[in-house]
Amino acid sequence: MTTQPAAGASRLKEQGMSVTLPTQEKIVFSQVDKLFASPSKTGDQVRALVGLDLTVHKSEIVSIVGPTGCGKSTALNMVAGFDAPTNGSLRLDGKAIVKPGPDRAVVFQQAALFPWMNVLENITFGIKSRGVAKEQYMASAEKLIRAVGLNGFEKHFPYQISGGMQQRVQIARALISNPEVLLMDEPFGALDYQTRILMQQLLLELWREFKPTILFITHDVTEAIYISDRVIVMGARPGRVKLEVAVEEPKPRSLDFLTSELFTGLEHQILETVQHEATASHAAH
Amino acid sequence: MVVTNVVKQQAPVGVDAETSKPFPSVAISLISLGAIMAVWFVVTNTGILGPKQLPTPQALVSRFLELIKDGYQGSSLMGHITTSLTRTLSGFVIGSVVGIVVGLVAGYNRVISAALSPIMSFIRPIPPIAFIPMAVLYFGLGETGKVILIAVTSFNYTVVNAQSGAAGVPIAYRRAAATLGVSKTQEFFKVIVPAALPSIFTGLKTALALSWAVVVAAELVGAQKGLGFLINQAALFFDIPTVFIGIILIGIIGLLLNLALSLLEKKLVHWRGRG
Repeated sequence: MTTQPAAGASRLKEQGMSVTLPTQEKIVFSQVDKLFASPSKTGDQVRALVGLDLTVHKSEIVSIVGPTGCGKSTALNMVAGFDAPTNGSLRLDGKAIVKPGPDRAVVFQQAALFPWMNVLENITFGIKSRGVAKEQYMASAEKLIRAVGLNGFEKHFPYQISGGMQQRVQIARALISNPEVLLMDEPFGALDYQTRILMQQLLLELWREFKPTILFITHDVTEAIYISDRVIVMGARPGRVKLEVAVEEPKPRSLDFLTSELFTGLEHQILETVQHEATASHAAH
Repeated sequence: MVVTNVVKQQAPVGVDAETSKPFPSVAISLISLGAIMAVWFVVTNTGILGPKQLPTPQALVSRFLELIKDGYQGSSLMGHITTSLTRTLSGFVIGSVVGIVVGLVAGYNRVISAALSPIMSFIRPIPPIAFIPMAVLYFGLGETGKVILIAVTSFNYTVVNAQSGAAGVPIAYRRAAATLGVSKTQEFFKVIVPAALPSIFTGLKTALALSWAVVVAAELVGAQKGLGFLINQAALFFDIPTVFIGIILIGIIGLLLNLALSLLEKKLVHWRGRG
């Protein structure tokens, strides 16, 4: 498990592997293709992902940015076990991913809380139904509810709290099983700017405490740089890796980081690729 | 000056209409109801329509008081009402419970769904009253036939909605359940069933309304009691006020049944439209 990332990925990489990065490989995509049947019945298949090589190390935070249709959510769905690769191999701790499970918690963009359960019930639903003793899961729930700042809202239903708080519930629900991998699919995409920054800081705090491996999908380049150890830029039609950059800034990160030279340099570099890809994908329509 | 006046007058109109309604809808409804009563009173009391066509409101009230006091054809008015209600509710409960269970399982399980859907799509368009002769043939004129007829009606409408509810559960809920490591049984009872509840209630409302309609139709044939029997019998004797009282009672009770279901729905499906 000490092999370096595949040749394709390192060729694209602009900066060398950071020495501060942990080295144990957690999630490994190698030459993964994902084809979907075309909705237009022409018989052609949609190439959502082609030859994806990506390694996410233990306790690393990796973001994937890219235009709509670049396959970033498809990549996450395959790690979650919702979809299987068409070709290539996708491994978690060296084992092929077969189906979804609580070792890979998912935070969805929206509407994934159960509206018939209150905040506490939503958070404890999974762990409770897996037969964990009540004293044990209630203790974890209380601790997490405090950590994400939901105290006093345990009995509220999802429709009674704000979008930001709903995402806090989702994060608490994900973390209660102490997952090694946290998959986040544009989790803060529907939130306003202020709330989004608060949530990003919360995420970094929680990371410091629980040290999960995080695969984070977003449209927001600023968000990606602010929270990640590495940012992957993907291009569309077919979806493939266009750029990979390491963010060599220790965590936790203050808001000052957002205005630092390192940040703006990375932002410029990534935005250029993203813009290029967005234009290309727009022109292809 | 003129221009500013126009602007000033126009602007608040839309605001007013949204914030403080100048004329409440309830008042409009009451006025409409009052107008109908007034027209009824006038056309019956001035002889435009004779008592054979439409009785006067006073005649209805006095006949209603008589019915309460003396009953009709050997049983009290309340007895007729409870007979119809008992038939409806027992058939409705049996049919709905079976319909909801079968529908949910079919919506969750592809094989059962495929096995059931051709039969269901054939039976659904047949009006429930078309089965009345068969019910009489198989089960006679007694209670069993009527209750089964209503149960079949309720089953037909609850099964469809429960099935579409269970089949249409948002993928996000099922994925969330899967990543939380929830077992299939838990997923069914804690995710699929509650997610299908709004749809189930849509089915229950249709089923109850139709059950109430079917019981009246079923009581036209060989019943000795019930509101359907009452209006049919009264019509045979040209007892027009009693026919109208029966019809009004059927309407009011149907309304109350629907109201009761709506209240239950509000309590059980508190997230509806807000989830």
